[in-house]
Amino acid sequence: MSIIPTIGMETHVELKTNSKMFCRCHVLDTDIPNESLCPTCLGLPGSLPVPNKKAIEFITLLALSTNCSITNDGMFHRKNYFYPDLPKNYQISQFDLPVGTEGSLEVVVDGEFGTVEIERVHMEEDTGKSTHMGSGRIDSATSTHLDFNRAGIPLVEVVTKPLIKSSREAVAYIEELRQLVIDLGISEGKLEKGNLRFDANISVAHDGDKELGTKVEIKNMNSLRSLEKAIEYEISRQTKMLLNEENIIQETRHWDEKKEVTTSMRSKEGSADYRYFSDPDIPNMILSDDFVNEVKSSIPVLPSQKRTVFIDSGLSIEDANSLVKSPNWIGDLYKSVSSITNDSKTSFNWITGELQGQLRKLELKSIPSWLTAKNLSEIITLVKENKISFTSGKEILGKLIEEELVPEEYAVNNKLIQENDIDEISKMVKDVLDDNKDVLERISNGEDKLIGFLVGQIIKLSKGKVNPSVAKELLLKELNS
Amino acid sequence: MDNHKLPISKINQLFKNKELKPSELYSEVFERAANTESVIHGHLTLFQEENIQKALDADKRYEKGNNIGTLDGIPIAIKDNINISGHATTCSSKMLSNYISPYDATVITRLKNEGVLFTGKTNLDEFAMGSSTENSAYGPTKNPWDSSRVPGGSSGGSAAVVSAGSAVASLGSDTGGSIRQPASFCGVVGFKPTYGTVSRYGLVAFASSLDQIGPITNNVADAKLIFNSMNGHDPLDATSLTESKAQQPKLKNAKIGIIKELMGDGISEDAQQEVHKVAKLMESEGHEVVEVSLPLTKMSISIYYLIAPAECSANLSRFDGVRYGNRVTGNTSSEMMELTRANGFGPEVKKRILLGTYALSAGYYDAYYGQALKARAMMKKEFTDIYNDVDYLISPTTPSDPFKFGEKTDNQLEMYMSDLCTIPANLVGMPAISIPTGLSSQGLPLSVQLMSPANTDNTLLDFSQSLESLVAFSDKPSINGVTN
Repeated sequence: MSIIPTIGMETHVELKTNSKMFCRCHVLDTDIPNESLCPTCLGLPGSLPVPNKKAIEFITLLALSTNCSITNDGMFHRKNYFYPDLPKNYQISQFDLPVGTEGSLEVVVDGEFGTVEIERVHMEEDTGKSTHMGSGRIDSATSTHLDFNRAGIPLVEVVTKPLIKSSREAVAYIEELRQLVIDLGISEGKLEKGNLRFDANISVAHDGDKELGTKVEIKNMNSLRSLEKAIEYEISRQTKMLLNEENIIQETRHWDEKKEVTTSMRSKEGSADYRYFSDPDIPNMILSDDFVNEVKSSIPVLPSQKRTVFIDSGLSIEDANSLVKSPNWIGDLYKSVSSITNDSKTSFNWITGELQGQLRKLELKSIPSWLTAKNLSEIITLVKENKISFTSGKEILGKLIEEELVPEEYAVNNKLIQENDIDEISKMVKDVLDDNKDVLERISNGEDKLIGFLVGQIIKLSKGKVNPSVAKELLLKELNS
Repeated sequence: MDNHKLPISKINQLFKNKELKPSELYSEVFERAANTESVIHGHLTLFQEENIQKALDADKRYEKGNNIGTLDGIPIAIKDNINISGHATTCSSKMLSNYISPYDATVITRLKNEGVLFTGKTNLDEFAMGSSTENSAYGPTKNPWDSSRVPGGSSGGSAAVVSAGSAVASLGSDTGGSIRQPASFCGVVGFKPTYGTVSRYGLVAFASSLDQIGPITNNVADAKLIFNSMNGHDPLDATSLTESKAQQPKLKNAKIGIIKELMGDGISEDAQQEVHKVAKLMESEGHEVVEVSLPLTKMSISIYYLIAPAECSANLSRFDGVRYGNRVTGNTSSEMMELTRANGFGPEVKKRILLGTYALSAGYYDAYYGQALKARAMMKKEFTDIYNDVDYLISPTTPSDPFKFGEKTDNQLEMYMSDLCTIPANLVGMPAISIPTGLSSQGLPLSVQLMSPANTDNTLLDFSQSLESLVAFSDKPSINGVTN
């Protein structure tokens, strides 16, 4: 009987609002600690929270874009627990009436479509940041430094149902969610900056078991790579335990990036009672139908919609998905170029392979204004029609990145136009064969690799104007006749 | 000199006529403070030195004729749970004995803009939890009428300083009667506005859904003046009301309901007599007085002592010694927080935090806090419905005249019962005022409480003013042989 893993993801998305969730402090991107503080986000006595409208708009955008049902009469709750970087010792969050429930997100796993089901999307405030000196943990630290710049930054927590089946699917989900929040313009979506932070709940069970296995929560995965590794590690750890009939305990485990193992942080038994109750400082969050419709009408083209357009243009799911994850101008350029060349795959390869490759080498983040869909298409068509070689096409593209030029003119002026007159090439083939009788002899004795040598001679004779594949084709025809 | 006893509008006239200067009145109230504070202990801090320049500035404004409004140059005391930038905000707790606030509460900003001169911060029960100021970490305030008796609470300091004349008026906060009960015990006017009409920003929260700032004054007109100088929407308080449309009760030929449940058991003869006396006076003015029944008022103490502690258990979590306030060191951060809280909070505060934590705990929430919320909603409906029949409600403010120190400290339930008449207005979020009307058989002040529907505050104040002149209560306490 096989063992089936089940994964649920909890992801915190930091919204890119100008001000914090419940006060007017700026959301600052700074290394200087405690620069952006006020009585409210520092939890001073007498301060009060006032919800950020922009953040509510952003979470509504996200909830709608993940096909969630919107809670029209929602509420903020207080989640009570003591920790030094939590200014009020309660976090304003949402409990039984989150902004969005029962949604879904289309993902691409290994070139195939999948759906991740979303349980809830709720609004909360971030905590401050603790740096434990001399130790990773607060109770063994020599001192703890607290930075409250982050305290009160709006966070959206997106919780999936525990229906994810593999580490690859989990990674695909995070990639899709990341692209979604970037395209919606509600978050920077930078993993390395902690704009997206995720925990995974993992359990394993025998195939066919009616109940899920005991859930273990994994924290401290800071990249997609560590997410994939941590899930795989945890699945194999739990699988071994299940096969050995060992007892898996409900706990929180820490992903050790260096050792690539998970270690126990704390047991969930006797878990914290957060004593949730509705925050009396904040009136109910009424999201009127008018408001929701207004937000709905402002939804931009979503990654899934972009993907459909790319697939409809003739690309594979995987290629389409890679365009979705590229900067917008890449996708736009692809659309224009493929509509001119009428060749989706070739256009895709030129843009994502050659163009992006050369830009990367030059450390450029965008293309010059004169590099247009039109002249890029011209290069692609020249190559496609065998008027120039692939190598020449790459050369022209390189030049085009440097300076404005007309590809065909450049090809003519630099004698890159290939000889395509079959009679002319056949004549050259015959000339080369006449000059290399000894080679011909050796080929007929089985030295096939010398065919390449002859092709080279033909190209040399043509001063590089003959397309090698054409030359080879005609040469083989001559040899076999 | 007795200028401090005059109505604020009259003082303002004297200022404008150059018969009196703000700095002279300012000195006068501090002189009163010098004579009374040793007995009363109403102020925790006095701002005389710091604010003398501000009083002189007010003088200049009147001299040049660019005085601001009626409150310009009026000395007002502030309960020490309302933040004034640069001054201590102790909440009468050891926890905050060293805490200096870096910001102004919205009411402070608004009163500063009116030219008000703050006299100092007044004593209270720790974090506004109590009915006698006996829970202050800095010693109790004494009742100006009889120093062996409590001034009421939690705004006991604010009521006592107005009664004693060391401020022209004061601000208090009212969560279950904390303005009205001490006002009644000290023989002054105390007004709790509709929830949401006065910003709570900068008021250290006890129970957020019940807390409301209001004035304590010598007369109703002063209360109205101060209320209208600090009310109105505040973008810093999400529970602050934006507009208040409500059908106003009648001022003439009004119908007034005596709450049956607040006139029987547990209410002293004197207190009941006072209500009947006032009722007769009102009838003589053409008003109709009827008895009404609000059965849920009997449950108000039970509802209140679930909701208020639940909210306070979270509101007071922030006092952990991490960012401000007194810190007791420990071997770990959690030990530090535990010791800080064990050392910093007094017993009443601890009791309420424990009670609230319990009421919110998993497995108990539905039975306690959840039930209380439902009962509160029902009570609100009961009040809303009754106002379809009557314009105002009347009851005693307190079940009895002021009690003695220590009299109720051993019987907590009896102490809690002293808020029986005032708690309903907080639970339903409606305005209520305490007006002194006479003296008890022991010669101590007694008051009646008038209530009206939400957002009819100014009408209630106007009606109260007519009642006040009808009653014509003018007795004043005598301290150190000097009558205020």
